[in-house]
Amino acid sequence: MGLLLARAVSFCRAVTTRPLVARLLMALFVAALLYPLTGLAMPVGPWRWDHEMGASTLAAVKVSLGLTTLALLIVIALGTPAAYYLARLSGLERAVFEGAIIVSVLMPPLALGLLLSLSFGPTSPLGAYLLRLGVATSNSPTSFVLTQVYVAMGYYVIAARAAFAAVPRELEMVAGLLGQRPLAVFARVTFPLARLGLAAAASIAWVRALGEFGAVIVTSYYPAGIPVRIWIDLQQAGLPAVMPLLLVFLVSALPLPWLIHMLAHRDGALDA
Amino acid sequence: MLKAHVVKRRREFTVDVTLTLERAERLALFGPSAAGKSTVLSCIAGFETPDGGEIVLDGQVLFPPPAPLYRRPLAYLTQKDLLFPHLTVGQNVCFGLNGRSPGLSGASADELARWIAELKEKLKLEPIWNVPARAVSGGQARRVALARMLARRPPVLLLDEPFASLDKNLTLELVETLLEWHRTLAFALIAADHRSDVLKLLCPKVAAIERGRIVQLGRWEELKNFPATPVLARLLS
Repeated sequence: MGLLLARAVSFCRAVTTRPLVARLLMALFVAALLYPLTGLAMPVGPWRWDHEMGASTLAAVKVSLGLTTLALLIVIALGTPAAYYLARLSGLERAVFEGAIIVSVLMPPLALGLLLSLSFGPTSPLGAYLLRLGVATSNSPTSFVLTQVYVAMGYYVIAARAAFAAVPRELEMVAGLLGQRPLAVFARVTFPLARLGLAAAASIAWVRALGEFGAVIVTSYYPAGIPVRIWIDLQQAGLPAVMPLLLVFLVSALPLPWLIHMLAHRDGALDA
Repeated sequence: MLKAHVVKRRREFTVDVTLTLERAERLALFGPSAAGKSTVLSCIAGFETPDGGEIVLDGQVLFPPPAPLYRRPLAYLTQKDLLFPHLTVGQNVCFGLNGRSPGLSGASADELARWIAELKEKLKLEPIWNVPARAVSGGQARRVALARMLARRPPVLLLDEPFASLDKNLTLELVETLLEWHRTLAFALIAADHRSDVLKLLCPKVAAIERGRIVQLGRWEELKNFPATPVLARLLS
């Protein structure tokens, strides 16, 4: 109780000592950033939710949540060791590898979609070979997941690298001298200390993959995930038809990653 | 027995030091700041890789090639406490306790519990045992680091400025405790510092180091009476 009171007092003091104008401008800035959310309340007419649309909507949600989960698991499984390796590098090797990963982050989504189609699609040697094995690399769950993995991987690795880099190397070495093998050191020291930062990295990857439209619409028009479904419905039936799916989209993309980010920031895991 | 020849290039000079340590021997590594004391300890511990030389401990080659940290039967108290911040004090102290602890092989659960209780009592860790390590004060953190290092009963201790930043009373108390354990556990010990007063209490023998070389090896009074270099003379006067 005393602590709460002290916090309230220090908060009030901060409120009164910081320049009022700066605070007002900041509040205005944040309000403008969040202003688009008011779109949910705009009078677009009654939201359409008939039987047929309900079925396709449900299918899109299933595709998005199911396949994005799979993509996220692949991103974490492949990206975590890469991020850890990267975090312990320095000098030229680090610059080279990071430079390569940044390329994948900076790639415009639509361009990435086209490149993926060209390099993995059935007209490419790799795509043709995979097709002969029975793996379709365009307009299939495989292409959907592959595209999402490509879209999200760079973001995950960059953020996870920062989380690992914030764990002092000496702590791992102390654990090693205390008889712990590398895997045990990772499990008992590195991972627990990087945990929140890793969760934040995973949440960025999740949002990137789930929300990806530009690359996915090129490689995987089918199976339509939420973004592509919204696009199709918008073309065919207009705004009232996409409002329910828009809401589902926001709810599945935002709250959990938001919470993870807030926790990670509070813990200082992202400050390093 | 530890036999360490460490060669490590640094920007201003190359550290090139040979130290031998018998069982239960206590050796001070004494010299001005930035003389290479920490480099020598860090190379023996395996935190840094030497550029040359050879390190052998009881017949086990630690370098070259560098042995992995978990195979080195020694303990290293760095200048920083380096406690695991996400664990409690107790979890920090017991972190390295398992069947592979060098001095505890064959110890029963009972003996282990008695040993931990002894550490806890002598280093006054009882009141903070369940406190998160990130919440303890500087002096307490030093005790915890010391307890964690000793818990495995390593045959060799490397101490890098073990009592810097501690007040006189606490320093004397910890030196006393260490010497007491030294009598029962008979570990060998190298302590590096640029202050001779603490080192004199801890180690009867001293290797003086300047710009990466051992300039004199002997007992404290020999160094004081016949210092090999002007720097040494000033440091010991």
